[in-house]
Amino acid sequence: MSNSRSARSGGSDSRFFTTTKKGETHELRLELQSPNRDKKKDAVKKVIANMTVGKDVSMLFTDVINCIQTENIELKKLVYLYLINYAKTQPELTLLAVNTFVKDAKDPNPLIRALAVRTMGCIRVEKITEYLCEPLRRALRDDDPYVRKTAAVCVAKLYDINAGLVEDQGFLQVLRDLVCDPNPTVVANAVAALSEITDTGGKDVMQITTATLQKLLAALNECTEWGQVFILDSLAKYDPVDGVEAEGIIERVTPRLQHANSAVVMSAVKVILSYLDLITNKDTERVFSRKLAPPLVTLLNSEPEIQYVALRNINLIVQKRPKILEHEIKVFFCKYNDPIYVKMEKLEIIIRLVSDRNIEQVLLELKEYAQEVDVEFVRRSVRAIGRCAIKLERAADRCISVLLELIETKVNYVLQEAVIVIKDIFRRYPNKYESVIGKLCENLETLDEPEAKAAIIWIIGEYAERIDNADEQLDHFLETFEDESADVQLQLLTATVKLFLKQPDTTQDMVQRVLHMATEDSDNPDLRDRGFVYWRLLATNPEAAKAVVLGEKPTIADDTFTLEPALLDLLVGQIATLASVYHKPPEAFVTKAAPVKDARADEAEEDFDEYEEEDAAEGSSMGGGGGGGAQESSGGNAVDLLDMGDLSIDSGTSNGGGGGGGGGGAFFAPSAAAPPMVKHQVCTAEQGQGLQISAGWANKGGKLSLEMDFANAGPAPLVSLAIQLNKSYFGLSPAQPQIVLPSPVPPGGAASYRQALSTAAAAAASALPMALNPALMAPPGAASPAQPLQCAIKNMTTGAVIYFSVPMDVSNVLSADGQLDKATYLSYWKAISDALEVQSVITDAPGMDVKAVTAKLAARNIFFIAQRDAGAAQVAYYSFKVAGALLVLLEITVQPGQIAVCVRTDAQPYAQPAKALVESILRS
Amino acid sequence: MSIAPISHFFILSPRGDTIISKDYRGDVVPGGTDIFFRKVKFTEGGDPPPCMNIDGVNYLFVRKNGLLFGVTTRWNCSPSQVIELLHRLAKVFKDYCGTLTEEAIRKNFILIYELLDEMLDYGYPQTTGTESLKSYVYNEPIAVEPSKSLRIPSTLGAKTNPSSAAHKPITGSTGGAKQRNEIFVDILERLNVLFGANGQILNSSIDGCIQMKSYLSGNPELKLALNEDLVIGRGQTSTYGAVVLDDCNFHECVRLDDFESGRQLTLVPPDGEFVALNYRITAEFRAPFRMFPSVTETDALHLELLLLVRADMPEAQYGSNVVVSVPVPRAAGTVSAEIDPRALPGQSAEYNATAKRVDWTIKRFQGGTEQSLRVRVTLTQPCTATTRRELGPISASFEVPMYSVSGLQVRYLKIADAGKAYNPYRWVRYVTLSSSYVARVG
Repeated sequence: MSNSRSARSGGSDSRFFTTTKKGETHELRLELQSPNRDKKKDAVKKVIANMTVGKDVSMLFTDVINCIQTENIELKKLVYLYLINYAKTQPELTLLAVNTFVKDAKDPNPLIRALAVRTMGCIRVEKITEYLCEPLRRALRDDDPYVRKTAAVCVAKLYDINAGLVEDQGFLQVLRDLVCDPNPTVVANAVAALSEITDTGGKDVMQITTATLQKLLAALNECTEWGQVFILDSLAKYDPVDGVEAEGIIERVTPRLQHANSAVVMSAVKVILSYLDLITNKDTERVFSRKLAPPLVTLLNSEPEIQYVALRNINLIVQKRPKILEHEIKVFFCKYNDPIYVKMEKLEIIIRLVSDRNIEQVLLELKEYAQEVDVEFVRRSVRAIGRCAIKLERAADRCISVLLELIETKVNYVLQEAVIVIKDIFRRYPNKYESVIGKLCENLETLDEPEAKAAIIWIIGEYAERIDNADEQLDHFLETFEDESADVQLQLLTATVKLFLKQPDTTQDMVQRVLHMATEDSDNPDLRDRGFVYWRLLATNPEAAKAVVLGEKPTIADDTFTLEPALLDLLVGQIATLASVYHKPPEAFVTKAAPVKDARADEAEEDFDEYEEEDAAEGSSMGGGGGGGAQESSGGNAVDLLDMGDLSIDSGTSNGGGGGGGGGGAFFAPSAAAPPMVKHQVCTAEQGQGLQISAGWANKGGKLSLEMDFANAGPAPLVSLAIQLNKSYFGLSPAQPQIVLPSPVPPGGAASYRQALSTAAAAAASALPMALNPALMAPPGAASPAQPLQCAIKNMTTGAVIYFSVPMDVSNVLSADGQLDKATYLSYWKAISDALEVQSVITDAPGMDVKAVTAKLAARNIFFIAQRDAGAAQVAYYSFKVAGALLVLLEITVQPGQIAVCVRTDAQPYAQPAKALVESILRS
Repeated sequence: MSIAPISHFFILSPRGDTIISKDYRGDVVPGGTDIFFRKVKFTEGGDPPPCMNIDGVNYLFVRKNGLLFGVTTRWNCSPSQVIELLHRLAKVFKDYCGTLTEEAIRKNFILIYELLDEMLDYGYPQTTGTESLKSYVYNEPIAVEPSKSLRIPSTLGAKTNPSSAAHKPITGSTGGAKQRNEIFVDILERLNVLFGANGQILNSSIDGCIQMKSYLSGNPELKLALNEDLVIGRGQTSTYGAVVLDDCNFHECVRLDDFESGRQLTLVPPDGEFVALNYRITAEFRAPFRMFPSVTETDALHLELLLLVRADMPEAQYGSNVVVSVPVPRAAGTVSAEIDPRALPGQSAEYNATAKRVDWTIKRFQGGTEQSLRVRVTLTQPCTATTRRELGPISASFEVPMYSVSGLQVRYLKIADAGKAYNPYRWVRYVTLSSSYVARVG
């Protein structure tokens, strides 16, 4: 049967993909003009096949549009498909199709009417919208529900293109009327459209009343599963007047828990959970919440992806209402064929549900998991055992003995993980389990991960008096002090000091050595600071040192991954959304702002007026003390950097010798050796209308940031600044448009710059991370990579706008972490399509061989990967990274007299500038 | 806010090529699918979780027959809805194209776009029923010969072993060939069982469903009756021996008017494959195969495992394609696997040295019989506790045709108001399958 059909249609649709001959466009054009309908249809199919594989067939626009006048619905659909794709590129020509749309919207066939309205809405051409209004108004009142439901969605489309038009035309009211439509699908789409408009427009256009509520509940039983999800979600936003109404709604929603579609179940759970708080009668509440358990558990029998979503949500639910699933722990035990991401989530829930009643069973399970193959899962299982011990005091003994059994297996990563959790157990139950220290110390040699090392060092320092050879053990670690990670170094420093306080006679030499390494040899400011604190404490008052270093530590509880109550409540309100899967509030990841803009320049040309408003709002919320986590952390950064900024300026102008007292001078002395970056004064107080700025580029961990010191010589305190950069070679843009200083900088008077800085009260420093933004790229040829970057800063207090430029060097922008290994390089190279490659040949560069090229490029942070010989030519490969974000791959072919440069990067706008940059380096 | 649309739907081939790409809202990030594919490909230890946020764009995906079905959205959408939708799209494509393969999708891409246009509007799911879509869709499917060699084993394929009849596109009626009037009803029970080292059952559950695939013309109303004494909800009073479901849920076409009184489902089956009822049982049941491993350490360098497997089911039943896998320690040097010489024919035991695993295959494992396997391992280094632990856990996969472990039965399947002349073929099949069937060792 299938043979006969494929013969009839001459093969299959895939044959449309195969024509790649020359003159194809011409052929297609002829076929499109063919009077034979089937031929015409086939031609349009070929065009669409080309479109699908990414070929540009926009030159056939007129020919395809000419096919629109057809009675054949199949052909019409194909043309519309084409039109939606290319309308934006040919807005003028698209107008030709308008007549057909308007005519189709009056067609006797409802399918064609709906098709016209649906397609018109998808054509995002501003000019077409005015023609859309009349057909849309008619369609919203159409007799056929299929047309009405299509029209309802179309209102949302139109709102996105031209919100004002929708409001002026009164379409919102019509949508609200459609919520009471007799057809449930129309209701569902109207709800969806209103909900989207509420979301984008920012004001509630939905307004559920008692009357609409009844309509929604009635439609809930009738409409499709997706419609049910829409309606349930809008119910979740409704505030019932009292517990009785809430109860009524819950009863109507409860049958949805038996739906086969997990999305319906999840949304029903969300409605019930959000209304449950309103119910005052405890018994009723218990009955309702008990009904949630079986459907939630049933979700765990679905496909793994559904299970994952369910588990992330259950994680929130058991934190909020632990009783619901308290007896169901067994269903969360891992199956051997669960995907790893499901296993990890199950583990989390097991820990939440573990209790004295089921701990035996849980430990048996966890012990099994700790011997599986997947390393990460094994680690988490070991950690889980420790967390059980911390959570359940009575079970701690058993947990410890399981951990000891696992240590016996001598599996490296099991051991490391066990050491880490045992450290936590010590902190939770001080002076109870120290007998196991001996066992741990037997395995010191195998520990090679920083976290495990830090843990064992902490244990040695803390319990030095119980370990016979604590000094030898620490001494052993000290041998490799310089190679250790920062965490381990800090722990070593503290542990050595602890040991010294406990056994001063034998360890004086050791402590001096470690203090020396920490304060003299290290670049890490944390380590230096801590080293100095200990040094001075030990030197001036050993008793105080004891009180500080050996003081009682607060015991800890297992709150890993436990959410703040406020965040938890927020997330429980977001059950059944991505927020509940990520465990992050929606604002943290929703960025639906930018539909790819056609006019990129618009964005770049936004001026300060817009920022001003945002800033005012932001500033007042800060003043109210409601600073969010993100702001706090950026504040923290700034404080850290303040120290560095101080130091580097001190060292740069050596005659100052540090502004503070003698003690301070001693503190700062060792740092003079390591100024990591140079800041230039870019703006004097006079140019800056009272604001003095020095700035420089810093490249930390591959992230490019602009670091700035501010001194305030103006009359008003400096609170926040807005910043904007000019278009530049690589399109650098600030990661956030404003700088909020950790604490306001009071007016520092017109006193000298140095003083203003060293008192720190009148100065502040800020590091502004940079991002790449193609919209901010300077037009080709207009800029060079070494040109200073133009900045504008606006002082939000005084309103003064200051312009300055910051000198830069290519090697500032190219990060030091651009080196790839061969395999990674190769996989990236292959992953970027050939079409994105740009290349050129330069003949005017000085004669060089690959070695010389490599040296030249290396000086600018462009890294050599590999090279091969290809006849007379030599081909070498390089990689570099721009501003820590954009990876560029390079292939250079060196031949006598010419050098060919070929660049690949996935960020297409950067390919040309990157190539030009390389060329200029080679020519230099 | 979870009434949220999707922006972009795509299907990627196993190599990462875009086979289908449908932009619903004009805000697709160029190159997004490449970023996504790299993320999926380079995640260690299997697929990453099905929801990810990369650079402010949310990617959600499922894998079907090796193909990646994904969407992007910038909104805080309902992930369950998107994932259900992806499964549904895959099902509808399969219903229309007959099979779900890269070839079938490429051949039918115009049809797929037409379907996508109807199934979502501006990123909001609309009609997704195979049946109701028929009235809006004009393209004819182009059938693809299911070629055994090319087919990628499907993850869901294990669920059924349908006759070739179940591989034809549902709208194939216009082809001229006479359509068979038939309906398939499969009662599938997937078992999760965990045995302790002593053969005792530690954890067990049945994950069951009644799956139907209808080719009935005219879409008549059906009545499907289950065991009269069926109980729903643990802790309800039940008669001895009754089937107790912990929980169940129904397809939206199912009406439950006569369910409370007569345990009868009334439904108008849509065309194509659908699951009428999902259920879950944790009450005790007779596990069809019981496994008894015992390990002896003959000396420091030799381990021996004796594994007894008993088919604990009626003699008339049999397990087919039973595969028992025994992982051996990493330090294993030589491994020999020996089947009882008096054993049933059609058995084989092979050692896979790269995977460090012995696979014991029994083509047909008759109920009431017992088979044994002896695995001898010579170690390259002296045996420790860890080495011993690495022997196991043993897992089994099998299929028991015409058997339902729970005892759930279809009492009858009637066409509601049919005359004598209308008597379609009704195929009712029972299949018990392993899902996670594991025995721990020592």
